Amino acid sequence: MVLKPSHYKSNVWIDWCPGCGDFGITAAMYRAFSELNLDPAKTVVVSGIGCSGKTPHFLNVNGVHTLHGRAIPFAVGIKLANPELTVVVNGGDGDLLGIGSGHFVAVGRRNIDILIILHNNGVYGLTKGQASPTLSKGVLTKSLSKPNIQDAVNPIALALASGYTFVARGYSMLAEHLKNLIIAGIEHRGTAFIDVLQPCVTYNDIHTVEFYRKRVYNLEDEGWSPDVKGEEQETNKKLLAAWEKSLEWGDRIPIGIFYRNTGISTFEDRLSEEIPIYKISPPSKQIISDEKGRTLIDREIFRKIFRDYIIIRKQER
Amino acid sequence: MSVKEANILLGGPQGAGLETTAQILTSSLAYLGYGVLADREYYSNIKGRHSYIHARISAEMIPLSLSYPVEIVGAMDSETIFTHFEDLGDGGYLIYDSSTDNRTLSSIASMEPILKNRITERLKRLGVEAKVSSLVDYLASNGRAEIVALDFPSILDTFKKRFEPEPIQASRYVSSILVGAVCGLLDIDEEAVKYGVSRRFMKKEKLIEHNVFLVNYVADYIRENYGSPYKLDNSRLSLNEMLTVMGNDVVAMAKIVGGLRYQSYYPITPASDESFFIEAFERLEVDGDSIGGIVVFQTEDEIAAITSAIGASLTGARVATATSGPGFSLMVEGLGWAGHSEVPLVITYYQRGGPSTGLPTRGGQSDLLFTLFASHGEFPRIVLASGDHIEAFYDAIEAMNYAERYQLPVIHLLDKFLANSFITMGIPDFSKIYIDRGMIVEDGEDYRRYEFNGPISPRANLGSKAVMWYTGDEHDEYGHITEDPEYRIKMYNKRMEKLDLIDKEIDPEKRAVLYGDFSADYLLVGWGFVKGVAIDSINKLRSQGLNGAYLHLKMFSPFPSSYVKSIIGSFDSDRVILVEHNYLAQAGKIVAMNTGTIIDRMIVKYTGRPIYVNELIIGIRKILEGEMRVVLSYGA
Ligand SMILES: Cc1ncc(C[n+]2csc(CCOP(=O)(O)OP(=O)(O)O)c2C)c(N)n1
Ligand SMILES: [Mg+2]
Repeated sequence: MVLKPSHYKSNVWIDWCPGCGDFGITAAMYRAFSELNLDPAKTVVVSGIGCSGKTPHFLNVNGVHTLHGRAIPFAVGIKLANPELTVVVNGGDGDLLGIGSGHFVAVGRRNIDILIILHNNGVYGLTKGQASPTLSKGVLTKSLSKPNIQDAVNPIALALASGYTFVARGYSMLAEHLKNLIIAGIEHRGTAFIDVLQPCVTYNDIHTVEFYRKRVYNLEDEGWSPDVKGEEQETNKKLLAAWEKSLEWGDRIPIGIFYRNTGISTFEDRLSEEIPIYKISPPSKQIISDEKGRTLIDREIFRKIFRDYIIIRKQER
Repeated sequence: MSVKEANILLGGPQGAGLETTAQILTSSLAYLGYGVLADREYYSNIKGRHSYIHARISAEMIPLSLSYPVEIVGAMDSETIFTHFEDLGDGGYLIYDSSTDNRTLSSIASMEPILKNRITERLKRLGVEAKVSSLVDYLASNGRAEIVALDFPSILDTFKKRFEPEPIQASRYVSSILVGAVCGLLDIDEEAVKYGVSRRFMKKEKLIEHNVFLVNYVADYIRENYGSPYKLDNSRLSLNEMLTVMGNDVVAMAKIVGGLRYQSYYPITPASDESFFIEAFERLEVDGDSIGGIVVFQTEDEIAAITSAIGASLTGARVATATSGPGFSLMVEGLGWAGHSEVPLVITYYQRGGPSTGLPTRGGQSDLLFTLFASHGEFPRIVLASGDHIEAFYDAIEAMNYAERYQLPVIHLLDKFLANSFITMGIPDFSKIYIDRGMIVEDGEDYRRYEFNGPISPRANLGSKAVMWYTGDEHDEYGHITEDPEYRIKMYNKRMEKLDLIDKEIDPEKRAVLYGDFSADYLLVGWGFVKGVAIDSINKLRSQGLNGAYLHLKMFSPFPSSYVKSIIGSFDSDRVILVEHNYLAQAGKIVAMNTGTIIDRMIVKYTGRPIYVNELIIGIRKILEGEMRVVLSYGA
């Protein structure tokens, strides 16, 4: 049975400001999940704290609304313990690139098979509009008393530098395009990242729908080819090109897939090499005792496993 | 003549083979059936600073405490002689390298100036020149000590002529000279030496041959020239098999036996060795077959360690993380999320000297209050502390059972003393071990993670047939956010009432254990690694006519209030003494908070070194003579 997009909508009232870009992101998720026919019980949406952090409650799949900045490590634990789950992280720009930036970088090094969706609105929405790590120097948004004196981090470049193997940008108002990115991100084996430009109608009066409409263009339309095919040299070439592209911001803002490399092992693959039974029997699936609550390791097995730590006393003659 | 026990101290620069010395000796002694407890004291340093091993060897029992003075000081370098000459008891044996006779105290660059000054003062008062030969002469001429002067370089020369080891390797054999001298003094036979050396070097035949030769060569020399003054009685221990383990190893073994399947950690002393140990057994292979697999995950920081462990727990894996003070400080917000969201989680917490980085490689018990109150808001938690290696084994498994049965975070409190001390112990009793995973459901129709069903709601895992939500916000039965004031009371109560349930279900006598009886003249109250030294000190004082008892506190949340109150209440208040490794006597605060009973007499130590029997006995006497607070400080 194929589940319709509406099936993925929970019955919780969505309490974002009318017109918020987060609606577009959530709608794109409903549609992507439906097209992929994801089993809600085998899908987990993990979020941090912020307006974006509420996302899981609006979806009818498993939801884990965690701590500010920590969605990624929660998601990593979920995925490593049960790799059959589809795990999607939703975080704010403060969440993923400010307080949680260490995790954002670390997950790229591992290439764990999850998708991370950044709700990039340039502000700390839920705390009323302070500058976020993606707001450029000199920009004055509504809540600020003076132009921003901190500069912006470049999410695309940071993801590339951190080792993400799927790096893309979407725009919350282009739902069809974003839906396709989400599908591609979920289907990608490895850590996938989508930087979603998300207008905040209440606190960001600079990066508005009007602002983006004039600037956003689709990489694909210009014949951009993000995919690494084979060789290491090719990887570096594609990385450099994507990096350069990520600097483009101003009159023209590219969206689409910047970089994709399917040739890197996932962390799950690497674990399976260490622990052969990992794939068939990951931590969440293992039976650890019999019905009576007895441990799998009894005295004899204990003696075998830990023989290097056991000393058998000299026998008296 | 033979002895029932021997206390020894072996010192040398960090990274010069002291650990090898300890391992060989422990294995040889265990092979002969002796009980050994060996504490490792070392700087936060990789190479060059002073470190030492302080051990008790017994023919009668598994020692649970250490004491000074020692009968043997074995010095790999002159820093050890200057630092420890007063740790040697009258008539004891000093083993040292006579080629260093001309070494002066001031020329020892690795020694901290503060200590150097103190020793300089001390030697001045004794009228001894600050030079190895003068100090050795002083010890010998006063009849204070027997001097075992060994010319290390010439012993190594003899050895080199015979075996021609590679030049850089030669210095690595110094530790075997010490092992040999100790084996001679204790009269450990060749077979046991061979056994100990072989275990240390596992199948590296050349190294085994070299070291066995060297050890026996030195041991024979000692026997000929000094006899074997501390020849040990035949062991009366009934154990035929012994585990030789550090506290880290024991806890790791327990977690493996207890079904741990996911452990996250960020490197920190003295916790990371535990994770390393588990990782070495990640495939759980028995006779070539794998009976499971454990993911040991090194995270980017402790925040990720705890939060990824929580994530793994939500899928139904049995999880834990292990850390020390600085790491736990970072975990605090995650701890609150786990408590609020009712997630089974074990945090194995090895205390070290704080605050801040404090004494990174030394022990302490100053984090009790922190573990009890860490994180904002109120939520139920279990805080369980172990007193020795054997307790730590059972507690580590129990901690995982409690976490899953009650769906909450369990903090298992240990300390560096336990983590890094070697012990010989019996193989655990498997009839005492069980696994309890609590109430788990698979089916998913209209599943409510926080169903009002008493304090414990049936737990479905992410990945089961159920769909569920979690949030750190206050939530309804489904796990969706609610701020309704009346609902808040219901959900809040549901969480907090777990504490009452646990209090009802876990026997108070398991949570606080009385050693001795109500007729005793005084009562010591302590926890953690204090256990061994408290019990041994009481036994020592009993032979001197003072009858004492020890109340060992094990679970601090939920606290066995009425049981503890009744025990403490049956002693005169001036006969109840807290013994702790911190300044405030923190357990006393918890006793007061839970029972209304204030214990105002205390013996505390916060030097980062363990409490020793010799000093605790003096402390107890002082308190019984009217002092309120005794601060202990023995040990280098
Ligand atoms: C540790 C911690 N510090 C601060 C906060 C307060 N806080 C809540 S949301 C938020 C910022 C959210 O901004 P962003 O991540 O960009 O998400 P948005 O609301 O814009 O979607 C902050 C700082 C918190 N919840 N936790
Ligand atoms: Mg934001």
